[in-house]
Amino acid sequence: MKLTFKSSITILLTIFSISLVFLLNDEGEIPILFNLLTFAGIYGLAAIGLNVHFGLTGLLNFGHAAFMGLGAYVTILLIPHAAGREGEITVSGLPFFLALIIGIISAALFGLLLGLPAIRLRGDYLAIVTIAAAEIFRLLVRDLESITGGVYGIINFSDALQQSRPVFINNFASTYDLNPSQMWVAFLSWVSIFLVLLLLKRLTNSPWGRALRAVREDEDAVRALGKNAVWLKLQSFMLGAGIAGLSGVLLAFNYGTVQVSTFIPILTFYVWAIMILGGVGSLTGPIFGSVMFWVIISETNGIAQLIFENANGQQIAGVRFVLVGLLIMVLMIFRPSGLMGKKEELLLDVK
Amino acid sequence: MSNNYLEVTNLKKSFGGIKAVDIQSLKLNKDQLTSIIGPNGAGKTTFFDLISGFQDSDNGKVYLNDKNITKSQPYLIARLGMIRTFQLTKVFDRMTVLENMMFSASNVNNDSFLKSLIKLPSQKINEKNIRDKSFEIMKELNIEHMADSYARELSGGQKKLLELGRSIINDPKILLLDEPLAGVNPKLAEEILEIILNLSEKGISILMVEHNIEAVMKISERVIVLAEGKVIADNTPENVRTDENVISAYLGSENE
Repeated sequence: MKLTFKSSITILLTIFSISLVFLLNDEGEIPILFNLLTFAGIYGLAAIGLNVHFGLTGLLNFGHAAFMGLGAYVTILLIPHAAGREGEITVSGLPFFLALIIGIISAALFGLLLGLPAIRLRGDYLAIVTIAAAEIFRLLVRDLESITGGVYGIINFSDALQQSRPVFINNFASTYDLNPSQMWVAFLSWVSIFLVLLLLKRLTNSPWGRALRAVREDEDAVRALGKNAVWLKLQSFMLGAGIAGLSGVLLAFNYGTVQVSTFIPILTFYVWAIMILGGVGSLTGPIFGSVMFWVIISETNGIAQLIFENANGQQIAGVRFVLVGLLIMVLMIFRPSGLMGKKEELLLDVK
Repeated sequence: MSNNYLEVTNLKKSFGGIKAVDIQSLKLNKDQLTSIIGPNGAGKTTFFDLISGFQDSDNGKVYLNDKNITKSQPYLIARLGMIRTFQLTKVFDRMTVLENMMFSASNVNNDSFLKSLIKLPSQKINEKNIRDKSFEIMKELNIEHMADSYARELSGGQKKLLELGRSIINDPKILLLDEPLAGVNPKLAEEILEIILNLSEKGISILMVEHNIEAVMKISERVIVLAEGKVIADNTPENVRTDENVISAYLGSENE
């Protein structure tokens, strides 16, 4: 990332939003900031996956929560866990990192499975099918109680990951009085972001990335030039779904439990909001978008207190969505390409 | 081996009650620059869509160099060496002119995910060749100075040139040009006609749909006239000009 005017402004805005955490809280700023950055990392990763779909290839995917959920469920069901109301712990299971890889691949294959019939649809129609598929996934998981634990969810699986926690994480966590388990998840999230961005930088600047952008611009022209647009779209769908799967796993470990109610459509819309904030089609944008988004989400309390005296929970929840909505509206008017998006490659042209 | 590159038999396509295309038999000769003319709604673009795979016919067969391509996928037909352009120019707006060209020049093998991930040296060499070739074509078409501009910044005529360049970079055997002169100023139209003639002389078989009758008559060796989906005349430009069917269906209003 070159330090241009655009990225300087973005970094300043990010620093400003982080400093809000210190302004609005009297105590415990470090744990609050740390918790926020953990979520920002995980959601940012999901938004990077969505950006492969929409920013790079132009696929309107509104079923991102299902890809995240599938990755999470597959991985966690493969390691020792306790599912359902009775919650008996299974003692056998695969090692975490092997299960993680299978989980990511499953999410990608789910993308392929969903894409095979759906990817030929254009724009809005694909959006409808993906949102429906995500709901089908969620309801299936809810009703397959004997495997997934249904509405009771899955618990007691964190050990498989936490066993591999290195000592420096423990030391760091105890210095700042943080939860070492969450510290390890946060660390892995940001390392994942770094690695995924490296991978995507390589891919987007390649002939493959060029072909995906051509599909985004005009599928018919791609076909007329002898390229299989459907296969290119499927590849993009799988890659983005795999990245979403990884973020889903991290989300589950951050909560320490997998619940069906985590993977509801609102999760998808959060990820969309983050991508739009950060800049559609930009590689690093979703990270900044995610940090700002989570500052708003976690600091709504303080902001709401500035507006209402003694705000109650309902008012705070209301203010939260008003703020996110306002931010997106302001951005769409003054900077529709998002914080880090290229003006020349503007995808969401609202005017 | 016959001298026909394209042969259609009994090709039919209807939209509701309207017969868009209804062609009994048509053979196109490799050595002839052929044009299709006809009033609006005569089925010219639908005919292009049918032979290039963008629409499925209701009935009939299409052969490309004696190979049956009926209901084949557009990208597979393109890989056989028949490349089409579109009436409404389709350039990749948010990519640079150079990227537009390079995407077209690159083949499936070069675009592969794994190769792009590993960044094989062979891909690098390939990319360099593609880049050189793109510049060569852009120079021929006089859009070289726009190489780094986004395609959407181009004028209508330059977009036509870019689309044409993108179509010829892989040395196709057959070019289907859908209104290559539409919305282009007279001077540029002359240049494009010159380019089309050159391509034809190089041995590319060209089939063109065009509304500019003067241009069609000037460069075509064979003119096919469609009206309401049917071939009503198929002859040399001189004979088509005087054909009574054509005059009443199409040229009438212009000659009066």
